[in-house]
Amino acid sequence: MKVVKQENINLDSSFAQEIAKLSGENVFLCYQCKKCASGCPSRMFMDSTPTELMRYAQLGMVDEAMKQNTIWYCVSCQTCSTRCPQDIDIAHVIDTMRIIGQQKKIQSDNNKLPLFNRLWMTMIKYMGRAYEAGLVASLNLFSGTPTKDMVLGMKMMRKGKLKLWPSFRKPFATMKMFSRAKKLKK
Amino acid sequence: MKLAYYPGCSLHSSSVEYDISSRKVCAALGIELVEVKDWICCGSSPAHQCDDLMSVALPAKNLALVRQTDDLKQLCAPCASCYSRLKVTQQRLTDNDLKKDVETVIDMEYPEDIEVLHMLDVVVEKAGTETIKEKVVKSLAGMKVACYYGCLMTRPPKVTGKKQFENPTQMESLVEALGAETVDWNMKTFCCGAAFALTKTDVVLELTRKILADAESSGANAISVGCPLCHANLDGRQTQINSKFKTNFHIPIFYFTELMGLALGIEAKELGILKHLTDAKKFLNERALV
Ligand code: SF4
Ligand code: SF4
Repeated sequence: MKVVKQENINLDSSFAQEIAKLSGENVFLCYQCKKCASGCPSRMFMDSTPTELMRYAQLGMVDEAMKQNTIWYCVSCQTCSTRCPQDIDIAHVIDTMRIIGQQKKIQSDNNKLPLFNRLWMTMIKYMGRAYEAGLVASLNLFSGTPTKDMVLGMKMMRKGKLKLWPSFRKPFATMKMFSRAKKLKK
Repeated sequence: MKLAYYPGCSLHSSSVEYDISSRKVCAALGIELVEVKDWICCGSSPAHQCDDLMSVALPAKNLALVRQTDDLKQLCAPCASCYSRLKVTQQRLTDNDLKKDVETVIDMEYPEDIEVLHMLDVVVEKAGTETIKEKVVKSLAGMKVACYYGCLMTRPPKVTGKKQFENPTQMESLVEALGAETVDWNMKTFCCGAAFALTKTDVVLELTRKILADAESSGANAISVGCPLCHANLDGRQTQINSKFKTNFHIPIFYFTELMGLALGIEAKELGILKHLTDAKKFLNERALV
Protein backbone atom coordinates (compact mmCIF):
# COMPACT_ATOMS: atom_id res chain seq x y z
CA MET A 1 0.00 0.00 0.00
CA LYS A 2 1.37 3.38 -1.02
CA VAL A 3 1.40 6.03 1.68
CA VAL A 4 0.09 9.41 0.56
CA LYS A 5 0.87 12.44 2.74
CA GLN A 6 -2.25 14.16 3.96
CA GLU A 7 -1.27 17.63 2.78
CA ASN A 8 -0.75 16.27 -0.72
CA ILE A 9 -4.22 14.80 -1.05
CA ASN A 10 -6.57 16.62 -3.35
CA LEU A 11 -10.19 15.61 -2.84
CA ASP A 12 -12.85 16.00 -5.48
CA SER A 13 -16.22 14.67 -4.45
CA SER A 14 -17.63 15.00 -7.95
CA PHE A 15 -15.24 12.32 -9.27
CA ALA A 16 -17.38 9.31 -8.29
CA GLN A 17 -20.43 11.07 -9.67
CA GLU A 18 -18.71 11.73 -12.98
CA ILE A 19 -17.81 8.02 -13.20
CA ALA A 20 -21.37 7.02 -12.36
CA LYS A 21 -22.79 9.36 -14.96
CA LEU A 22 -20.53 8.07 -17.71
CA SER A 23 -20.61 4.37 -16.89
CA GLY A 24 -23.57 3.69 -14.63
CA GLU A 25 -21.19 2.09 -12.11
CA ASN A 26 -21.43 2.94 -8.41
CA VAL A 27 -17.96 2.85 -6.85
CA PHE A 28 -19.39 3.31 -3.36
CA LEU A 29 -20.54 -0.31 -3.41
CA CYS A 30 -16.92 -1.41 -3.04
CA TYR A 31 -16.13 -2.69 0.47
CA GLN A 32 -12.43 -3.26 -0.16
CA CYS A 33 -12.41 -7.06 -0.11
CA LYS A 34 -9.37 -7.11 -2.43
CA LYS A 35 -10.73 -9.87 -4.64
CA CYS A 36 -10.14 -7.73 -7.72
CA ALA A 37 -6.54 -7.01 -6.76
CA SER A 38 -5.75 -10.66 -5.99
CA GLY A 39 -6.79 -11.91 -9.40
CA CYS A 40 -5.41 -9.07 -11.50
CA PRO A 41 -2.78 -10.41 -13.91
CA SER A 42 -1.33 -6.95 -14.46
CA ARG A 43 -1.04 -6.07 -10.77
CA MET A 44 2.75 -6.43 -10.71
CA PHE A 45 3.10 -3.58 -13.20
CA MET A 46 0.69 -1.17 -11.51
CA ASP A 47 1.49 1.65 -9.05
CA SER A 48 -1.68 0.83 -7.08
CA THR A 49 -4.04 -2.14 -7.05
CA PRO A 50 -7.54 -2.06 -8.57
CA THR A 51 -8.87 -2.16 -4.97
CA GLU A 52 -6.92 0.97 -4.07
CA LEU A 53 -8.13 2.56 -7.27
CA MET A 54 -11.72 2.02 -6.15
CA ARG A 55 -10.95 3.68 -2.83
CA TYR A 56 -9.37 6.67 -4.61
CA ALA A 57 -12.56 6.95 -6.65
CA GLN A 58 -14.76 6.83 -3.52
CA LEU A 59 -12.71 9.50 -1.78
CA GLY A 60 -12.29 11.63 -4.88
CA MET A 61 -8.50 11.33 -4.85
CA VAL A 62 -8.30 12.26 -8.50
CA ASP A 63 -4.53 12.66 -8.74
CA GLU A 64 -3.83 9.24 -7.26
CA ALA A 65 -6.34 7.63 -9.58
CA MET A 66 -5.45 9.47 -12.74
CA LYS A 67 -1.76 10.36 -12.57
CA GLN A 68 -0.38 6.98 -11.60
CA ASN A 69 0.15 4.32 -14.24
CA THR A 70 -2.56 2.02 -12.77
CA ILE A 71 -5.42 2.68 -15.17
CA TRP A 72 -3.10 2.43 -18.15
CA TYR A 73 -1.80 -1.01 -17.17
CA CYS A 74 -5.21 -2.65 -17.04
CA VAL A 75 -5.34 -5.21 -19.87
CA SER A 76 -9.16 -5.34 -19.81
CA CYS A 77 -9.12 -9.04 -18.97
CA GLN A 78 -12.45 -8.81 -17.07
CA THR A 79 -11.25 -11.00 -14.18
CA CYS A 80 -12.08 -8.34 -11.58
CA SER A 81 -15.50 -7.58 -13.07
CA THR A 82 -16.27 -11.30 -13.10
CA ARG A 83 -15.31 -11.88 -9.47
CA CYS A 84 -16.44 -8.74 -7.63
CA PRO A 85 -18.93 -9.81 -4.92
CA GLN A 86 -20.54 -6.37 -5.18
CA ASP A 87 -21.09 -6.78 -8.89
CA ILE A 88 -19.11 -3.69 -9.84
CA ASP A 89 -17.82 -3.73 -13.41
CA ILE A 90 -14.35 -2.56 -12.40
CA ALA A 91 -12.94 -2.88 -15.91
CA HIS A 92 -15.67 -0.52 -17.10
CA VAL A 93 -14.83 1.93 -14.31
CA ILE A 94 -11.20 1.85 -15.44
CA ASP A 95 -12.21 2.39 -19.08
CA THR A 96 -14.24 5.37 -17.92
CA MET A 97 -11.26 6.81 -16.05
CA ARG A 98 -9.18 6.36 -19.19
CA ILE A 99 -11.77 8.20 -21.23
CA ILE A 100 -11.78 11.06 -18.70
CA GLY A 101 -7.97 11.08 -18.73
CA GLN A 102 -7.81 11.25 -22.50
CA GLN A 103 -10.45 13.97 -22.74
CA LYS A 104 -8.80 16.11 -20.08
CA LYS A 105 -5.35 15.27 -21.42
CA ILE A 106 -4.10 14.28 -17.96
CA GLN A 107 -0.40 13.42 -18.16
CA SER A 108 0.74 10.07 -16.77
CA ASP A 109 2.78 7.00 -17.63
CA ASN A 110 0.14 5.83 -20.07
CA ASN A 111 2.28 3.40 -22.05
CA LYS A 112 1.32 4.82 -25.45
CA LEU A 113 -2.29 3.67 -25.14
CA PRO A 114 -3.95 7.03 -25.93
CA LEU A 115 -1.81 7.31 -29.06
CA PHE A 116 -2.64 3.74 -30.05
CA ASN A 117 -6.36 4.34 -29.47
CA ARG A 118 -6.29 7.52 -31.54
CA LEU A 119 -4.53 5.84 -34.44
CA TRP A 120 -6.90 2.88 -34.36
CA MET A 121 -10.05 5.02 -34.30
CA THR A 122 -8.75 7.26 -37.10
CA MET A 123 -8.06 4.19 -39.17
CA ILE A 124 -11.58 2.84 -38.68
CA LYS A 125 -13.08 6.24 -39.39
CA TYR A 126 -11.44 6.55 -42.79
CA MET A 127 -11.11 2.91 -43.84
CA GLY A 128 -13.88 1.06 -42.04
CA ARG A 129 -11.50 -1.66 -40.94
CA ALA A 130 -8.25 -1.86 -39.01
CA TYR A 131 -5.11 -2.18 -41.10
CA GLU A 132 -2.48 -3.87 -38.95
CA ALA A 133 0.71 -3.15 -40.89
CA GLY A 134 -0.11 0.56 -41.09
CA LEU A 135 -1.06 0.63 -37.42
CA VAL A 136 2.23 -0.90 -36.26
CA ALA A 137 4.27 1.35 -38.52
CA SER A 138 2.54 4.57 -37.50
CA LEU A 139 2.53 3.68 -33.79
CA ASN A 140 6.26 2.97 -33.84
CA LEU A 141 6.96 6.09 -35.86
CA PHE A 142 4.94 8.43 -33.63
CA SER A 143 6.33 6.96 -30.44
CA GLY A 144 9.94 7.22 -31.61
CA THR A 145 10.77 3.50 -31.85
CA PRO A 146 10.60 2.95 -35.62
CA THR A 147 12.40 -0.40 -35.59
CA LYS A 148 10.43 -2.09 -32.78
CA ASP A 149 9.28 -5.62 -33.68
CA MET A 150 10.81 -5.25 -37.14
CA VAL A 151 12.09 -8.86 -37.25
CA LEU A 152 8.68 -10.18 -36.17
CA GLY A 153 6.95 -8.01 -38.76
CA MET A 154 9.23 -9.28 -41.54
CA LYS A 155 8.53 -12.89 -40.54
CA MET A 156 4.80 -12.24 -40.59
CA MET A 157 5.05 -10.54 -43.95
CA ARG A 158 6.87 -13.55 -45.39
CA LYS A 159 4.15 -15.88 -44.10
CA GLY A 160 1.46 -13.73 -45.69
CA LYS A 161 0.16 -12.57 -42.29
CA LEU A 162 0.44 -8.84 -42.88
CA LYS A 163 -1.11 -7.10 -45.80
CA LEU A 164 0.98 -4.39 -47.41
CA TRP A 165 -2.00 -2.37 -48.53
CA PRO A 166 -5.16 -1.52 -46.64
CA SER A 167 -8.58 -2.37 -47.99
CA PHE A 168 -11.12 0.43 -48.14
CA ARG A 169 -14.71 -0.58 -47.42
CA LYS A 170 -17.32 2.06 -48.05
CA PRO A 171 -15.28 4.58 -46.02
CA PHE A 172 -18.05 7.17 -46.15
CA ALA A 173 -20.28 4.89 -44.07
CA THR A 174 -17.94 4.98 -41.07
CA MET A 175 -17.03 8.64 -41.58
CA LYS A 176 -20.71 9.51 -41.39
CA MET A 177 -21.11 7.40 -38.24
CA PHE A 178 -18.31 9.30 -36.53
CA SER A 179 -19.73 12.68 -37.49
CA ARG A 180 -23.24 11.75 -36.34
CA ALA A 181 -21.76 10.58 -33.01
CA LYS A 182 -19.90 13.85 -32.66
CA LYS A 183 -23.08 15.85 -33.23
CA LEU A 184 -24.97 13.71 -30.74
CA LYS A 185 -22.35 14.23 -28.01
CA LYS A 186 -22.73 17.99 -28.35
CA MET B 1 -27.36 -24.94 -40.99
CA LYS B 2 -26.72 -21.45 -42.31
CA LEU B 3 -25.05 -18.73 -40.24
CA ALA B 4 -23.90 -15.17 -40.81
CA TYR B 5 -20.12 -14.93 -40.44
CA TYR B 6 -18.20 -11.96 -39.05
CA PRO B 7 -14.49 -12.65 -39.55
CA GLY B 8 -13.21 -9.33 -38.15
CA CYS B 9 -10.02 -7.50 -39.08
CA SER B 10 -7.46 -9.96 -37.66
CA LEU B 11 -8.82 -12.89 -39.62
CA HIS B 12 -8.27 -10.94 -42.79
CA SER B 13 -4.56 -10.46 -42.08
CA SER B 14 -2.46 -11.66 -39.13
CA SER B 15 -4.62 -14.69 -38.35
CA VAL B 16 -5.66 -15.65 -41.84
CA GLU B 17 -5.18 -19.34 -40.94
CA TYR B 18 -8.03 -19.10 -38.43
CA ASP B 19 -10.29 -17.82 -41.20
CA ILE B 20 -9.19 -20.52 -43.64
CA SER B 21 -9.53 -23.38 -41.16
CA SER B 22 -12.88 -22.12 -39.81
CA ARG B 23 -14.37 -22.02 -43.29
CA LYS B 24 -12.95 -25.45 -44.17
CA VAL B 25 -14.20 -27.26 -41.08
CA CYS B 26 -17.61 -25.63 -41.23
CA ALA B 27 -17.92 -26.75 -44.84
CA ALA B 28 -16.94 -30.28 -43.80
CA LEU B 29 -19.62 -30.23 -41.09
CA GLY B 30 -22.26 -28.96 -43.48
CA ILE B 31 -22.45 -25.51 -41.87
CA GLU B 32 -22.83 -22.72 -44.39
CA LEU B 33 -21.13 -19.44 -43.45
CA VAL B 34 -22.30 -16.28 -45.19
CA GLU B 35 -19.91 -13.36 -44.65
CA VAL B 36 -21.70 -10.25 -43.40
CA LYS B 37 -21.86 -7.82 -46.30
CA ASP B 38 -19.67 -4.71 -45.88
CA TRP B 39 -18.91 -5.44 -42.24
CA ILE B 40 -16.78 -2.89 -40.41
CA CYS B 41 -14.31 -3.14 -37.51
CA CYS B 42 -15.98 -3.80 -34.14
CA GLY B 43 -13.72 -1.19 -32.52
CA SER B 44 -12.04 -3.85 -30.35
CA SER B 45 -10.27 -2.64 -27.20
CA PRO B 46 -9.24 0.85 -28.44
CA ALA B 47 -12.88 1.86 -28.86
CA HIS B 48 -14.01 0.92 -25.36
CA GLN B 49 -10.97 2.66 -23.92
CA CYS B 50 -11.56 5.99 -25.59
CA ASP B 51 -15.07 6.38 -26.96
CA ASP B 52 -17.96 4.77 -25.13
CA LEU B 53 -20.64 5.56 -27.72
CA MET B 54 -18.62 4.32 -30.70
CA SER B 55 -17.61 1.20 -28.77
CA VAL B 56 -21.23 0.06 -28.92
CA ALA B 57 -22.21 1.77 -32.18
CA LEU B 58 -19.60 -0.07 -34.27
CA PRO B 59 -20.73 -3.58 -33.20
CA ALA B 60 -24.39 -2.45 -33.44
CA LYS B 61 -23.85 -1.46 -37.05
CA ASN B 62 -22.53 -4.95 -37.77
CA LEU B 63 -25.51 -6.55 -36.06
CA ALA B 64 -27.77 -4.38 -38.22
CA LEU B 65 -25.84 -5.54 -41.28
CA VAL B 66 -26.49 -9.17 -40.32
CA ARG B 67 -30.15 -8.45 -40.93
CA GLN B 68 -29.32 -7.54 -44.50
CA THR B 69 -27.34 -10.73 -44.96
CA ASP B 70 -29.98 -13.20 -46.17
CA ASP B 71 -32.12 -12.18 -43.18
CA LEU B 72 -30.12 -14.49 -40.92
CA LYS B 73 -30.66 -14.56 -37.16
CA GLN B 74 -27.46 -16.21 -35.97
CA LEU B 75 -24.03 -14.65 -36.18
CA CYS B 76 -20.76 -16.52 -35.77
CA ALA B 77 -17.66 -14.55 -34.71
CA PRO B 78 -14.41 -16.54 -34.42
CA CYS B 79 -12.41 -13.72 -32.80
CA ALA B 80 -12.86 -13.58 -29.02
CA SER B 81 -12.56 -9.81 -29.00
CA CYS B 82 -15.20 -9.26 -31.73
CA TYR B 83 -17.42 -11.83 -30.00
CA SER B 84 -17.09 -9.98 -26.71
CA ARG B 85 -17.76 -6.54 -28.19
CA LEU B 86 -20.86 -7.83 -30.00
CA LYS B 87 -22.16 -9.44 -26.80
CA VAL B 88 -21.41 -6.38 -24.66
CA THR B 89 -23.28 -4.25 -27.16
CA GLN B 90 -26.32 -6.52 -27.01
CA GLN B 91 -26.31 -6.30 -23.25
CA ARG B 92 -25.86 -2.53 -23.08
CA LEU B 93 -28.46 -1.79 -25.75
CA THR B 94 -31.19 -3.19 -23.54
CA ASP B 95 -31.05 0.40 -22.25
CA ASN B 96 -33.54 2.26 -24.44
CA ASP B 97 -31.86 5.69 -24.30
CA LEU B 98 -28.53 4.30 -25.40
CA LYS B 99 -30.25 2.26 -28.09
CA LYS B 100 -31.88 5.40 -29.46
CA ASP B 101 -28.53 7.21 -29.59
CA VAL B 102 -26.89 4.25 -31.29
CA GLU B 103 -29.65 4.03 -33.90
CA THR B 104 -29.09 7.69 -34.67
CA VAL B 105 -25.36 7.07 -35.10
CA ILE B 106 -25.72 4.00 -37.31
CA ASP B 107 -28.76 5.38 -39.13
CA MET B 108 -30.27 1.90 -39.19
CA GLU B 109 -32.69 -0.05 -37.12
CA TYR B 110 -30.93 -2.07 -34.42
CA PRO B 111 -32.11 -5.70 -34.42
CA GLU B 112 -32.56 -7.22 -30.97
CA ASP B 113 -33.00 -10.83 -31.91
CA ILE B 114 -29.61 -11.83 -33.30
CA GLU B 115 -27.92 -14.74 -31.57
CA VAL B 116 -24.17 -14.13 -31.34
CA LEU B 117 -22.02 -17.25 -31.16
CA HIS B 118 -18.31 -17.84 -30.87
CA MET B 119 -16.93 -20.34 -33.38
CA LEU B 120 -16.39 -22.80 -30.50
CA ASP B 121 -20.09 -22.56 -29.59
CA VAL B 122 -20.98 -23.27 -33.20
CA VAL B 123 -18.96 -26.46 -33.48
CA VAL B 124 -19.50 -27.81 -29.96
CA GLU B 125 -23.12 -26.81 -29.34
CA LYS B 126 -24.63 -26.52 -32.80
CA ALA B 127 -22.78 -29.29 -34.63
CA GLY B 128 -22.03 -31.40 -31.53
CA THR B 129 -18.99 -33.39 -30.50
CA GLU B 130 -20.68 -36.72 -31.32
CA THR B 131 -21.19 -35.70 -34.94
CA ILE B 132 -17.60 -34.50 -35.13
CA LYS B 133 -16.31 -37.73 -33.61
CA GLU B 134 -18.02 -39.73 -36.35
CA LYS B 135 -16.26 -37.66 -39.01
CA VAL B 136 -12.73 -38.09 -37.61
CA VAL B 137 -10.55 -39.94 -40.10
CA LYS B 138 -7.13 -39.22 -38.57
CA SER B 139 -7.06 -39.44 -34.79
CA LEU B 140 -4.88 -36.90 -33.03
CA ALA B 141 -3.59 -39.56 -30.60
CA GLY B 142 -0.21 -38.62 -29.19
CA MET B 143 -1.07 -34.97 -28.85
CA LYS B 144 -1.35 -33.65 -25.31
CA VAL B 145 -3.19 -30.41 -25.59
CA ALA B 146 -3.55 -27.56 -23.12
CA CYS B 147 -6.83 -25.86 -24.04
CA TYR B 148 -6.44 -22.12 -23.63
CA TYR B 149 -9.50 -19.88 -23.50
CA GLY B 150 -7.98 -16.58 -22.45
CA CYS B 151 -10.30 -13.84 -21.24
CA LEU B 152 -13.12 -12.91 -23.52
CA MET B 153 -14.50 -16.25 -24.68
CA THR B 154 -15.95 -16.79 -21.22
CA ARG B 155 -15.70 -13.51 -19.30
CA PRO B 156 -17.59 -11.73 -17.94
CA PRO B 157 -20.34 -14.38 -17.63
CA LYS B 158 -22.99 -11.65 -17.41
CA VAL B 159 -22.09 -10.83 -21.01
CA THR B 160 -21.20 -14.24 -22.46
CA GLY B 161 -23.88 -16.19 -20.61
CA LYS B 162 -21.34 -18.96 -19.99
CA LYS B 163 -21.96 -21.14 -16.95
CA GLN B 164 -18.38 -22.35 -16.67
CA PHE B 165 -16.17 -19.30 -16.70
CA GLU B 166 -13.40 -20.07 -14.21
CA ASN B 167 -12.84 -23.59 -15.48
CA PRO B 168 -14.47 -23.98 -18.90
CA THR B 169 -14.32 -27.41 -20.55
CA GLN B 170 -15.96 -26.90 -23.94
CA MET B 171 -12.71 -26.99 -25.88
CA GLU B 172 -11.53 -30.05 -23.98
CA SER B 173 -14.61 -31.98 -25.02
CA LEU B 174 -13.93 -31.04 -28.63
CA VAL B 175 -10.21 -31.83 -28.58
CA GLU B 176 -10.84 -35.18 -26.88
CA ALA B 177 -13.41 -36.05 -29.52
CA LEU B 178 -10.60 -35.61 -32.05
CA GLY B 179 -8.57 -38.31 -30.32
CA ALA B 180 -6.07 -36.09 -28.51
CA GLU B 181 -5.41 -36.03 -24.79
CA THR B 182 -6.00 -32.85 -22.80
CA VAL B 183 -4.17 -31.72 -19.67
CA ASP B 184 -5.36 -30.18 -16.43
CA TRP B 185 -3.66 -26.85 -15.96
CA ASN B 186 -3.99 -23.54 -14.18
CA MET B 187 -3.72 -20.88 -16.83
CA LYS B 188 -6.59 -21.68 -19.17
CA THR B 189 -8.39 -18.40 -18.50
CA PHE B 190 -5.35 -16.29 -17.56
CA CYS B 191 -4.78 -13.22 -19.70
CA CYS B 192 -1.99 -13.17 -22.33
CA GLY B 193 -1.87 -9.37 -22.35
CA ALA B 194 -3.51 -9.19 -25.75
CA ALA B 195 -4.48 -5.55 -25.87
CA PHE B 196 -0.91 -4.52 -25.08
CA ALA B 197 0.80 -6.49 -27.83
CA LEU B 198 1.94 -3.35 -29.61
CA THR B 199 2.04 -0.77 -26.85
CA LYS B 200 3.54 -2.52 -23.83
CA THR B 201 5.24 -5.62 -25.11
CA ASP B 202 6.98 -6.27 -21.75
CA VAL B 203 3.62 -7.03 -20.14
CA VAL B 204 2.75 -9.44 -22.93
CA LEU B 205 6.09 -11.25 -22.72
CA GLU B 206 5.72 -11.77 -18.97
CA LEU B 207 2.10 -12.94 -19.06
CA THR B 208 2.63 -15.16 -22.09
CA ARG B 209 5.73 -16.68 -20.50
CA LYS B 210 3.64 -17.73 -17.49
CA ILE B 211 1.08 -19.41 -19.73
CA LEU B 212 3.68 -21.30 -21.78
CA ALA B 213 5.53 -22.40 -18.64
CA ASP B 214 2.38 -23.71 -17.00
CA ALA B 215 1.30 -25.59 -20.12
CA GLU B 216 4.71 -27.19 -20.39
CA SER B 217 4.92 -28.20 -16.75
CA SER B 218 1.45 -29.74 -17.00
CA GLY B 219 2.82 -32.10 -19.62
CA ALA B 220 1.22 -30.51 -22.68
CA ASN B 221 3.03 -30.69 -26.00
CA ALA B 222 0.69 -28.30 -27.79
CA ILE B 223 -1.75 -25.51 -26.95
CA SER B 224 -5.06 -24.90 -28.65
CA VAL B 225 -6.65 -21.45 -28.81
CA GLY B 226 -9.74 -19.72 -30.14
CA CYS B 227 -8.62 -16.11 -30.39
CA PRO B 228 -6.34 -14.39 -32.92
CA LEU B 229 -4.71 -12.21 -30.28
CA CYS B 230 -3.92 -15.16 -28.01
CA HIS B 231 -2.45 -16.94 -31.02
CA ALA B 232 -0.38 -13.95 -32.06
CA ASN B 233 1.12 -13.68 -28.57
CA LEU B 234 1.63 -17.37 -27.78
CA ASP B 235 2.82 -18.32 -31.27
CA GLY B 236 4.59 -15.17 -32.36
CA ARG B 237 6.41 -14.15 -29.18
CA GLN B 238 8.14 -17.42 -28.25
CA THR B 239 11.48 -16.38 -29.79
CA GLN B 240 11.45 -13.07 -27.91
CA ILE B 241 10.44 -14.79 -24.67
CA ASN B 242 13.23 -17.34 -25.04
CA SER B 243 15.84 -14.66 -25.49
CA LYS B 244 14.50 -12.42 -22.72
CA PHE B 245 13.94 -15.08 -20.05
CA LYS B 246 16.58 -17.60 -21.17
CA THR B 247 13.90 -20.22 -21.68
CA ASN B 248 13.63 -22.79 -24.41
CA PHE B 249 9.97 -22.91 -25.43
CA HIS B 250 9.02 -24.47 -28.68
CA ILE B 251 5.34 -25.26 -28.24
CA PRO B 252 3.15 -25.38 -31.35
CA ILE B 253 0.01 -23.26 -30.94
CA PHE B 254 -3.06 -24.38 -32.90
CA TYR B 255 -6.46 -22.85 -33.44
CA PHE B 256 -9.00 -25.47 -32.41
CA THR B 257 -10.34 -25.28 -35.96
CA GLU B 258 -6.93 -26.35 -37.28
CA LEU B 259 -6.93 -29.38 -34.99
CA MET B 260 -10.43 -30.22 -36.21
CA GLY B 261 -9.31 -29.86 -39.82
CA LEU B 262 -6.37 -32.21 -39.29
CA ALA B 263 -8.58 -34.83 -37.68
CA LEU B 264 -11.14 -34.51 -40.45
CA GLY B 265 -8.39 -35.33 -42.94
CA ILE B 266 -7.62 -31.88 -44.34
CA GLU B 267 -3.93 -31.23 -45.14
CA ALA B 268 -1.95 -28.98 -42.77
CA LYS B 269 -0.94 -26.79 -45.69
CA GLU B 270 -4.52 -26.28 -46.79
CA LEU B 271 -5.47 -25.26 -43.26
CA GLY B 272 -2.79 -22.56 -43.18
CA ILE B 273 -0.86 -24.25 -40.37
CA LEU B 274 2.44 -23.60 -42.15
CA LYS B 275 1.89 -19.89 -41.55
CA HIS B 276 2.59 -20.27 -37.83
CA LEU B 277 5.68 -18.49 -36.57
CA THR B 278 6.53 -21.28 -34.11
CA ASP B 279 7.02 -24.12 -36.53
CA ALA B 280 4.43 -26.87 -36.19
CA LYS B 281 5.53 -28.97 -39.16
CA LYS B 282 8.13 -31.05 -37.35
CA PHE B 283 5.68 -31.72 -34.52
CA LEU B 284 3.01 -32.92 -36.94
CA ASN B 285 5.56 -34.93 -38.95
CA GLU B 286 6.62 -36.88 -35.86
CA ARG B 287 2.98 -37.81 -35.28
CA ALA B 288 2.31 -38.68 -38.91
CA LEU B 289 -0.21 -35.88 -39.17
CA VAL B 290 1.26 -34.22 -42.25
S1 SF4 C 1 -13.76 -7.05 -5.74
FE1 SF4 C 1 -15.34 -5.45 -5.74
S2 SF4 C 1 -15.84 -5.10 -3.57
FE2 SF4 C 1 -13.94 -6.28 -3.63
S3 SF4 C 1 -12.33 -4.71 -3.48
FE3 SF4 C 1 -12.67 -5.11 -5.66
S4 SF4 C 1 -14.20 -3.60 -6.30
FE4 SF4 C 1 -14.21 -3.66 -4.08
S1 SF4 D 1 -9.62 -5.98 -16.08
FE1 SF4 D 1 -7.82 -4.76 -15.61
S2 SF4 D 1 -7.91 -4.34 -13.43
FE2 SF4 D 1 -9.36 -5.99 -13.85
S3 SF4 D 1 -8.20 -7.85 -13.39
FE3 SF4 D 1 -7.98 -7.44 -15.60
S4 SF4 D 1 -6.09 -6.19 -15.78
FE4 SF4 D 1 -6.70 -6.18 -13.61
